[in-house]
Amino acid sequence: MMNNIKKEGQQEIVGFVLIVVLVVVGLMVFLVISLKSPSENERSSEVSNILDAIMKHTTECAIVYDPDYDNFEDLFKSCHQKNDCSNLDKSACKYLNESLRDVVKAMMGSEATVNYYQIDFFVKGETPGILTFSEGNCTGNVNMAQRNIISDSDSLVIRMKVCKTISRGQETDL
Amino acid sequence: MVNKKEKRKYGVSLSENMGQMKIQQMAFMIVAVFFFFVLVGLFFLGIWLNDIKGSASQLQKEQTISSLGVIADMPELNYDSSESMTIDEDKLIVMSGTLGKDYDLFWPVASIEVYKIYPSFTSIKECPSVDCNYYMIYDNKQNNTKAYSSYVSICKKVSERGSVYDRCEVGKLVVGMKIHDE
Repeated sequence: MMNNIKKEGQQEIVGFVLIVVLVVVGLMVFLVISLKSPSENERSSEVSNILDAIMKHTTECAIVYDPDYDNFEDLFKSCHQKNDCSNLDKSACKYLNESLRDVVKAMMGSEATVNYYQIDFFVKGETPGILTFSEGNCTGNVNMAQRNIISDSDSLVIRMKVCKTISRGQETDL
Repeated sequence: MVNKKEKRKYGVSLSENMGQMKIQQMAFMIVAVFFFFVLVGLFFLGIWLNDIKGSASQLQKEQTISSLGVIADMPELNYDSSESMTIDEDKLIVMSGTLGKDYDLFWPVASIEVYKIYPSFTSIKECPSVDCNYYMIYDNKQNNTKAYSSYVSICKKVSERGSVYDRCEVGKLVVGMKIHDE
């Protein structure tokens, strides 16, 4: 009789412990997911706005004659067509690589919440890309946008990825 | 087999204890299952609310860019009416000077500033001056405002070696908006 009661008691305790463990695991999963939920936006209006401003920026590279300078949109096409900057004695791709890094670095330097950025320039459907660079470590929200440019018969893609630390006070700031 | 003596000794109190144990067990189970389902519910609610928050934040950003676009596309600042978010640098020079004072009642916002982002700078140098990087268009000195910013192109006509061309630089339009007390 006493043994039966002991056994039943042990079973009850095991059952109770199992339920407690189940609830604790549920709580842990809930906490982990609710605390760490970075979102990914592939069509960010914010990054799209950055790309628009970059595309219109006038560079120092003149392909045909000085001062017919390319803006970045034209410079991407010139790089794809393997043209040279006639006034700088360097290839359009080399100049694009140097100047784009500087411009993007200056832009991202003015954003306090940006911890990572990446630019990819490639012909649609082709790998590897023509130009890729990135800086920082990606944590927090991921925002992306891309521009498609037609050069000759190819479709060029310029894709930008920006990671921002989650900051409630600056959520609405761009 | 439990004999009559033992039954008399333990029987009544044992069945009472067992009953209490069963009630306790059921109560624990109900509470645990309740908490479990509450957590599951909170988990899904959290995901759902996060989506709504993300969408709301995205909509707010789009609305802000659109509002800043309205300021940037006003004829008083806009460079080319066919291009959005493009500001005329010559107009900036005029609007940041004494002529801009006449527009103090015109602007529907608390402040308007424009920065040149590239080449990058370490200190702010107000325009018009050599190598300047900052235009103060309007500021009503109002407290309790929040600044919203967006990238724009600052363009001007440049004459070089007999040719005239459009030169655009990356800039940032910062607009201060009044925060309404609730």
